[in-house]
Amino acid sequence: MIERILLLLLFLAGFYGLIARRNLIKKVYALSIMNMAVLLLFIVEGGGLGSQMPIVDSAGEGQHYVDPLPQALMLTAIVVGVCISIVALTLIYRLYRVHKTLDCEELRERIHHE
Amino acid sequence: MSSHNLVVLLVLLPLFGVVFALISNRTNRPRVKTVLEWLAAGIGLFCPLIILWALLPVVREGSIAYTVGNQPQVLGIAQRFDGLSWLVDLMGFSSLAVVWIYTRGAGPRGGLFTTLFLIQTSAMAAMGSCADLFNLFVCFEVLGIANYALVALAEKPRAFFAAFNYLAISSASLTFFLLGVFGLYRLTGSLSYQGIVRGLAALPDGGTFQAQLSLACIVAASLVRVALMPLAGWLPDAHGSAPHAVTAVGCGMLLKPPLFALGRFLTELSSGGGRVSALVAPLWNVLGILGVLTALGGVICALSQSDVKRLLAYHSISQVGYIVCAWALASPLGMAAAFLHAFSHAIFKGLLFLSAGTAADAGNNRDVYAYRGARKFLAQAGDRQGITTICFCIAALSIAALPPFSGFAGKHGILHSLEHGRWQYTVLSLVGIGTMASMIKLGRIFFGTPSPAGTDAAAYRINGPIKLSMVLWAIPCVLFGIFAIPLGRFVGALTGAEHNPVPEDLFSASSLGKTGLYLLGAIVLYRLLMGRWGKDLSHRILDLPKGFYGLMAGFVLALCIFCAAFLAK
Repeated sequence: MIERILLLLLFLAGFYGLIARRNLIKKVYALSIMNMAVLLLFIVEGGGLGSQMPIVDSAGEGQHYVDPLPQALMLTAIVVGVCISIVALTLIYRLYRVHKTLDCEELRERIHHE
Repeated sequence: MSSHNLVVLLVLLPLFGVVFALISNRTNRPRVKTVLEWLAAGIGLFCPLIILWALLPVVREGSIAYTVGNQPQVLGIAQRFDGLSWLVDLMGFSSLAVVWIYTRGAGPRGGLFTTLFLIQTSAMAAMGSCADLFNLFVCFEVLGIANYALVALAEKPRAFFAAFNYLAISSASLTFFLLGVFGLYRLTGSLSYQGIVRGLAALPDGGTFQAQLSLACIVAASLVRVALMPLAGWLPDAHGSAPHAVTAVGCGMLLKPPLFALGRFLTELSSGGGRVSALVAPLWNVLGILGVLTALGGVICALSQSDVKRLLAYHSISQVGYIVCAWALASPLGMAAAFLHAFSHAIFKGLLFLSAGTAADAGNNRDVYAYRGARKFLAQAGDRQGITTICFCIAALSIAALPPFSGFAGKHGILHSLEHGRWQYTVLSLVGIGTMASMIKLGRIFFGTPSPAGTDAAAYRINGPIKLSMVLWAIPCVLFGIFAIPLGRFVGALTGAEHNPVPEDLFSASSLGKTGLYLLGAIVLYRLLMGRWGKDLSHRILDLPKGFYGLMAGFVLALCIFCAAFLAK
């Protein structure tokens, strides 16, 4: 139970950061933290079931495998998360080169009056 | 070649095209670059249209269900390609092909653009045949990443900022999607739609609370891409600043594949019977109501806009509301009606963006209130035949639902699927009047005494590909309207609807009379809107604050609405 509570706190911390932080880079961190919390949830919950190595063959029908799916899914989710961070940081860099600020409210003001 | 290999090719061919697009990005010889880009588009955008043609007879007989790579059920990813997937893919590939032709004339060009465009195409095609939740998540992410980058190709700070906001809201919502996937996987031990339905049906209590919360997360996250209110805040900013070509697909066609992909999942649950059907029933009701409110809210915001592209972007939100109204009926007939309007919207909205965008570029002016006489600037830029103006008029008459254009049939299909006398019917009719008034307001930019030209207006040229792409969209706009009844029969047959979604009395005196009355109402509304009082009110709505907090608040609100819908059951 304690790990679920910790993961919930981690997720909420990320969500709070995404909303409350004005610095765009910190927003990207917060997004990664949220992503990571969900990812860990899959791993923690997925690892608790079964005892056998998950190598499927016809002879081993009915064996109690560890479910390999959550980990396989999370590999994909990690790759996707990295791509998102890269695109986000690239956009921020391009914004910074023009406006020399990372504050989202200030950027919004400046872009509005462009 | 077996039919399911052909279906996989629809996803793989655009990715194969990406290889050539990437090579073209590395060469410096202009001619080689052009040839490689055409090759990439030929493989990734035009070949799939031929494959779709070959798949039609198979799809007419029934859906194609398979697992990727012929893996056994336990390992493979489940896919299902049915009539609706075929239709959505047809809409997607044809729209993307037309827009790609437009980009040859107006830009953005180059290997990078074609690469992103084809990745987006591939994700769109994969979404059409998803029957597995995690696969759907990956499709959403890939489509999103390509889309953020395409918006940013406008190379303006405004576009970078809008793309970042779009990225943040949509990635944050997708972490909730993943949470929802986790919830359902934990309950049912399956990710395929059918497995989830079986798993939920087998649970003694139907997995009530956890299943409901998971569903709420999945639906709210998916609808961010559909731009249903209150999740639509990102769309006007992102697509108001993106290149015209990106807006034309992003605001027209690309809002629909996520909607129909979500619809496929929810209908699968609805058809599960017993407790599983009861689980999703309140969700459909609340989605129907949100659809009506989106249609109304979208058109009110659109009426108050002064920027050409933002005005059209709000109309997209409003039209999505219409589509969701029919979609949320959760019947094959509702789906067919929703698809018909989705298809006609993809075409006329694409055409509106291309023609109004071209006009705005020709005079270098995007202010609906100040810009007049675009026809003169268009002629100066090389469009002496007035093709842009004619195409705009066709598209505007179509979105205003005037006969005999495609929007007339689409909207009548939607209204026909909702019953007469229901409050939704009345509200949607009022929205129709607002849409007409808004198009009169936008159409004014083409006529009248020319306003002073913007600074870069003289440099802009309208060339062959721009004209060709607009004509390619204008023709179906007219044809779909005229042949709406047989087309409706065809779509109805593919989606399994019991009868034609387009009413047989489409062109009857009563429906034409009603349209005439609406038009009169629209003229009165336009007059009011352009008066002092109307302009003052518009300005107030226009000045509503929009920012990142608003986007996140919209998402949390939507999540709460869906949870409340379950609790209120």
